[in-house]
Amino acid sequence: MERAQGGEGDAILTNKLRKEYGSLVAVNDLDLKIGKGTLYGMIGPNGSGKTTTIKMLVGLLRATSGNAFVLGERTPIKDNIARIGYMPQDMAIYTELSVHENLELFAELYSMDKEVFAKREENLLRVIDLVDRKNSLVSQLSGGMRHRVSLACALIHNPDVMFLDEPTVGVDPELRVGFWKYFSELKSSGKTVILTTHYMDEAVRCDLVGMMRLGELIGEGTPKQLMELTRTQDLESAFMSLSKKVPA
Amino acid sequence: MRLNRVLAVAKKNLRSLKHDRRTVGFLVMMPLLMITIFGYTFGGNVKNVDVYIVNLDQAPQGESISVAIIENLQSRDTLHIGRIYTTSDGIAPATEKVKDADIWAVIVFPENFTSDVARASGGNGSQPAMIGVTIDGTNPNIVSSISNELLTAVRAVLGQRALLSPIIVIPDLVYGKDARFIDFFAPGVMGLAAMMVTFMLSIISFVHERGASTLDRLLSTPVTEGEIVAGYALAFGLVGLIQSCVIITAAILLFNVMIVGNVLLALLVIFILGVGNQGLGFLLSAIAKNEFQAIQFLPLILFPSILLSGVFWPIEAVPTLLRPVSYFIPLTYAVEGMRSVMIRGWSVDGIWLQLLILTAFAIAMLVLSTYGLKRRR
Repeated sequence: MERAQGGEGDAILTNKLRKEYGSLVAVNDLDLKIGKGTLYGMIGPNGSGKTTTIKMLVGLLRATSGNAFVLGERTPIKDNIARIGYMPQDMAIYTELSVHENLELFAELYSMDKEVFAKREENLLRVIDLVDRKNSLVSQLSGGMRHRVSLACALIHNPDVMFLDEPTVGVDPELRVGFWKYFSELKSSGKTVILTTHYMDEAVRCDLVGMMRLGELIGEGTPKQLMELTRTQDLESAFMSLSKKVPA
Repeated sequence: MRLNRVLAVAKKNLRSLKHDRRTVGFLVMMPLLMITIFGYTFGGNVKNVDVYIVNLDQAPQGESISVAIIENLQSRDTLHIGRIYTTSDGIAPATEKVKDADIWAVIVFPENFTSDVARASGGNGSQPAMIGVTIDGTNPNIVSSISNELLTAVRAVLGQRALLSPIIVIPDLVYGKDARFIDFFAPGVMGLAAMMVTFMLSIISFVHERGASTLDRLLSTPVTEGEIVAGYALAFGLVGLIQSCVIITAAILLFNVMIVGNVLLALLVIFILGVGNQGLGFLLSAIAKNEFQAIQFLPLILFPSILLSGVFWPIEAVPTLLRPVSYFIPLTYAVEGMRSVMIRGWSVDGIWLQLLILTAFAIAMLVLSTYGLKRRR
């Protein structure tokens, strides 16, 4: 197992991570360093490279150059793969299976003990507010409900590092508040959460925010630091301000 | 490779099918329909073929061999003798009926037929006795049925009268005694149904899996590419097996199909074929961008298999130029293996080559599918 030079305390470390599709540079020499127990928000418009970065970290895409380490193991990770959870942007759950069957599938792929799974499932169904829809087919659920099932599938095995691509899309405001409370609880218990979001107002709840544009990290810091740096009142204005400084 | 993860993937695929009642109905009804339609269409012998007879034979009624042959023909139902013309009617009106396609054939017994037969069978005739048949040759099956029926009747009548035939061929059947055409093609239909369904299920499921990003999600878990491929193979191989059981049960109940050997060995052949074909579907799913493109592969795989693999007619009937293609089609070996088990009653010793080739095909497909998935990362 190859170790990062960046120290054991880092959940994520990237060195000049780059992804090219022909002449298009989707991620441009990205340097990231995210400590364990951090709630990290990656914000930016469509095509800014957020999803590509997450896919490279999860091991679904090979980097064109540079390298990345997750929990000290170079990607694509093998030894630590059971310690990460991934929720893709486009739901990616089996609509022809029930909520329970989806959760059970992922639990079995992570070789979870049946009793541990039962408790974990009960807890997660409460978090995503779908206890009474446990045996419903996913195809019979609304878009928002499906999104919640997708989140539960990523968390079923209680991973140490979670990559959540747009976890709050399609979730009603009340439940979204519940989600953020849950993310904070995860962080408090030492878990690392890396999420992408379009809702910049939500990102203020993160410990650290990375602003991406055209494959580059144009700003990184706590929400307060980013607003102070740009002398703005909210993260959206901060993003617009930083975007102007970096030519397209 | 962890068995629990292979089983998890297989269970997922089988559960998906379980919730989709229409697909389950299709999987059961399709093979049932196939064997029933094929069985009733091709399984029965040709019956009630409309023919006329012109009997010009002048021999007295009690001695006439032509009358005996006609009576023999009438005692069975292959030919339906609509009219029997005599000397006063002549041949022409009956021949016109064939030209108008009102009847299939006219059988003509010449004037001295009985005396010619007597002379020829005594070894004194310079020429054999002849029966003329004016026949509509548009359907080779009908032509062959009329000829066979006539020969059967002639042999039976000559035998009854202890008249000698110059040459008698006595076939001593080593295998397939009393085998009918349906016994020949039932194993082929089993293979064909299993091949079609496993290929179709696999290619469509996997194209969907790629399109819906569930594959990405699976690959972000500890499950390996090999385990995904094995899980798919297990699930769809089982589906092929269940289908074969449906076909074989229907074939026995409806058509009393011949099974001399071990039926489990025949099912093993089907299972290996199913695994190989789902692997092929898996592999080709990488080229298809959506379900619509995936389904386009079906005729490409299906037609050569139906026409060249010996399902409905022997490989020997395939033109020499195309015959090498037959030997590249896995279904050829599956059909040959199953026939050897079901009709010849052979065991593993007799079909080891077919088992070996099918197993090699299945392994190659699974390995290539796994490699294809690994390359995707």
